[in-house]
Amino acid sequence: MAVLACAPAAQAQNSEAPALRTHHVTVSGGIMWSGGYSIGDATARLRTNAAGSPPPFTLFTTASAVEAATGVEGRVGFALTSRIAVEAGASYSTPAIGVTISQDAEGASQALDGEHIEQFVLDVGVRWHLPVRPGPRMRLFAGGGAAYLRQLHEARTLVETGQIYYADGGITYWLRGDAGRSRALGLRGEVRANWRRQGIDFENLTRVYPSIAAAMFIGL
Amino acid sequence: MRRLMAWVLFALMVAGPSPAWAYLKLGSSVGGRIVDMTWHQQPIRYFVSDRDGPGVTAAELRGAIGRATATWQAVTTATARFEFQGVTSASPDAIDGRTTIGFLDRPDLDRVLGATSFILDTTTGAIVEADIFFNARFAWSVAPQGETGRVDLESVALHEVGHLLGLSHSAIGETERSGASGRRVTASGSVMFPIAMTAGAIADRVLQADDIAGISDLYPAAGMLDTTGSLTGRVTKGGQGVVGAHVVAFNPETGVLVGNFALNEKGEFVIARLTPGPYVLRAEPLDDADVESFFSAPVDVDFRVGYASTLVVAPRGGSSSPVEIKVRAK
Repeated sequence: MAVLACAPAAQAQNSEAPALRTHHVTVSGGIMWSGGYSIGDATARLRTNAAGSPPPFTLFTTASAVEAATGVEGRVGFALTSRIAVEAGASYSTPAIGVTISQDAEGASQALDGEHIEQFVLDVGVRWHLPVRPGPRMRLFAGGGAAYLRQLHEARTLVETGQIYYADGGITYWLRGDAGRSRALGLRGEVRANWRRQGIDFENLTRVYPSIAAAMFIGL
Repeated sequence: MRRLMAWVLFALMVAGPSPAWAYLKLGSSVGGRIVDMTWHQQPIRYFVSDRDGPGVTAAELRGAIGRATATWQAVTTATARFEFQGVTSASPDAIDGRTTIGFLDRPDLDRVLGATSFILDTTTGAIVEADIFFNARFAWSVAPQGETGRVDLESVALHEVGHLLGLSHSAIGETERSGASGRRVTASGSVMFPIAMTAGAIADRVLQADDIAGISDLYPAAGMLDTTGSLTGRVTKGGQGVVGAHVVAFNPETGVLVGNFALNEKGEFVIARLTPGPYVLRAEPLDDADVESFFSAPVDVDFRVGYASTLVVAPRGGSSSPVEIKVRAK
């Protein structure tokens, strides 16, 4: 978030500003953090003993969530122009599914330990390097894309797939090289807003959650 | 063939001492081991008594029995099949090689709405005859929307036909004390719960997930073993198994509740024929103080409700890794 807050202070682009090397490939690898999100509330109900249509009896309720997790991510980009690149990425993490029990007819509320799953995300997207830079070797970018989500429980006894659509923004910092010269090496940080459809979800709703990634990249 | 008359009160009761089993299957000892009591030949052929009951004609009785058998038969994950053979003047307690269903005046069983008795082949555990009676001491009804003050015949028939198929009682339900010595059901999650709902209620004309899991376990449809999963584990208190703990599996995606018991000294339980997916497992003591009369071993009811520490996944075509549900004394 701090990265994006720098944008209003960005300087005007000049001729020495780093840029993508057109028709060249960039690879990157790093770590990512994915925020938690609800996957649904549910109520264990019993039939009530009465004539007519009485409301059901609540035995207990559950609130389930995919908890925040860290993971690893790798990306490959291809610069179509000095400002626009297409990218493909893959990430792996092991978030936990946590459950909170409440309204138990006979017991106290409690939170269950998280049950971990494996999560794979394969995405493709487009990045646009904005014509502003917060520093002499920095460029801001924005983009978006779509991803295939695969979630596996232990020994693959539970497999769920889904889709993620995302919009992101971030900053690229060149440690070495830039457009048209020596091989580039640098750091990149980004923030994403993710819209997840399907996957493990007890209500089959679209869920929104944030993610943050930091990576080192190298231009080939 | 050696036969045994098992005149068991697998009965649906009004507010009274509550026998409480799980979605359990009736069992018979064959060669030193317990086997499921099931029908080895289908369809199950049955006769219906030609005797009217209080508030219900013989024709209405046949209709209610027909609807109840059709409801069990409609479970797509099971293969139970029935065939109506006709009316009979025989009493539903006669040992005559025929499965007979009808009214019987049993004033001595003043809290029993209906009961099912069996004749078994003790060499195989096969049911060869099962009779159901509805107690003529009570006022009955087959009104489509129920009738205040009268017991819904179809609901009780659905329960008793469940026994006839080999199901025992389920303990998914809540009761409260009623009167000096009885209990009243406040809510249930199974047609096979042993205490009937209030006279006039018709909710138990519809099977619940626990009933469907039970019948699917007894008479699995083709492919059921490959398409369903099981949960296994132990209920422990201070490291020791809890005999008689009632364990309920809840699927937060489907809302399904299916129950069973920890039945041995290790506190081990199995809940089978579940839709694959994640489940919350909850262990609770039985409500009633008189459960000892239904278990051969002492039953532990001195513990608080407890949950498995994580979601547990029932895998397709297999069983979960053993789960331990740790409970604490009250």
